Amino acid sequence: MSPVQYLRSVGAVVWLGIYHDIAWTSPVAGIILLSVAPTASAMTTSIIYWLGASHAGSFESSKLAYVLVGAVLYAHIAAYAYAPTLAIAEGKNLSIFQHVYISPKSSELYLAGRTIASFLISFGTSMIALILADLVLSHLLHTTIPLIETPESVLLLIAALFLNVPAALGLGYLLGSYSLFASKFEWALPSYVAGILMVFSGALFPPSILPWPLSAFGNGLPFTQFISAARDAIIFGSISSYITALEYSFVEGVFLLGASLLIYRASAKKARSEGVIDRRLA
Amino acid sequence: MKFELRPWIRTMKARALVRILSQFGEPLWIVVNVGFPIFSSVALALLYESAGLSGYTGFAILGGIMISFWGNVLWSMASQFNWDKQEGLFEIYLTSPCSITAILIGMSVGGIVGTAPSAVMVAIVGWLFFHPAVLASSWVAVVLTFSLTLASLYCMGMLLSSLYLAYGRAAESLNNALQEPVSMLSGVYFPSIGQLSPFPFGIQVAASLIPLTLGMDALRRTLFFSQGVSSVSIELIALAVMAIMLLVASSVALKALENKGRREGTISVRIR
Repeated sequence: MSPVQYLRSVGAVVWLGIYHDIAWTSPVAGIILLSVAPTASAMTTSIIYWLGASHAGSFESSKLAYVLVGAVLYAHIAAYAYAPTLAIAEGKNLSIFQHVYISPKSSELYLAGRTIASFLISFGTSMIALILADLVLSHLLHTTIPLIETPESVLLLIAALFLNVPAALGLGYLLGSYSLFASKFEWALPSYVAGILMVFSGALFPPSILPWPLSAFGNGLPFTQFISAARDAIIFGSISSYITALEYSFVEGVFLLGASLLIYRASAKKARSEGVIDRRLA
Repeated sequence: MKFELRPWIRTMKARALVRILSQFGEPLWIVVNVGFPIFSSVALALLYESAGLSGYTGFAILGGIMISFWGNVLWSMASQFNWDKQEGLFEIYLTSPCSITAILIGMSVGGIVGTAPSAVMVAIVGWLFFHPAVLASSWVAVVLTFSLTLASLYCMGMLLSSLYLAYGRAAESLNNALQEPVSMLSGVYFPSIGQLSPFPFGIQVAASLIPLTLGMDALRRTLFFSQGVSSVSIELIALAVMAIMLLVASSVALKALENKGRREGTISVRIR
């Protein structure tokens, strides 16, 4: 298959994914509905920090920004890393996935397309969540959240978001490998992914406060580096830290993607030989 | 149709048993259900600690316990009739002589019993990790508040189940959209009403219309601020009234939807 054919296949699935996620209603209503949860989630965690720090007499607006940005971004990663699991689980249940399997294109392309579609939607909803939460919290908590809102910082944030795609896709393939065999518990995976990211990715507090080896695990995640880079871009304005964190995030992400692809291929082969590709939800 | 108590109770027990057996027949469900409440409780308790207020870690643990039930209400009560409709079960409910209210209450009882192990696990893990200071002066107040909160919450789930039936395929998206904002407004993890609330008075009043808000506030006060039954009596009365009103409203809404479905012939239409 030529690169153009690859791109056409992925492009078609991206379109399908966007339709699947937001076109069941009007696109505007779909985007609004998808933005509500990350906005509320980011506000909840930010209010918890504000409440705790205000009563302890240690409130700092830069730390509020730290929590806000982390909360928006961990929800963003969790939302689109789950796309392959959803595509497989829902596909098996509705008899779509087995048709993808017997088509001349590979299921890996299908899952990549669905993840990219989910990333694009989540990209939009996360930005809406960040802006809305910033506006509402500033008003509600009577404080200024020190986010750097220049074209350069926004571009750096967007670059970080795009360079995190390999890591999230890698996580998606890993979860997808499990979903090929699972027939009832895969629906719980997003909550576990969101929960694990919440604790270990430095979304709400630095992983260094966790006991070793959990802190080392947290610091080693590409998502931790990605969130750190995003904060460097729009809170701290530190270009050198941004580049270092993003390099780590991207390189680790590419390794994760490569390893996950190998695991997914092996799982798919095993799933085919065991005849579970079309096993429906129990 | 004449109301008969025995078939009503048998229906309720039968529906509750299905749910209880499905949960306890597959112990992995407990592990599955406990994932998010445990991780979010731990993360938010650590956030309270890192913000310098270890004394409030109990808020995060209590939030994790209650979010298990709120998740169960949304996903296993509100969405259930819609899923039953897609599977062809709902029309069987309607054509059987069973009371729909008995089925709904059975679902609630089964849901509460099935979710209890997850909630207990969150409590144990939270207590082991953070040792939150529990300053309950009256356990009667705590148990009463907890019971009335669950009763009104599950009655809200019953009402939502009829509304979701009308919304069809949009139900899941509505659930996803509702879960977080309702958690935030109800103050699952922080006080959303009262002196510690960051919200203006108008929003606090609106949030108080959600049973979870009053329940969480009263639970926090009885568990962590040594308040007794008399201090939370207004909340307890309000929760009891809400439970009764929501139960009646759910019954009326389901009857109206059933009649509409019969007239328009959409009761057995699977995917809209």
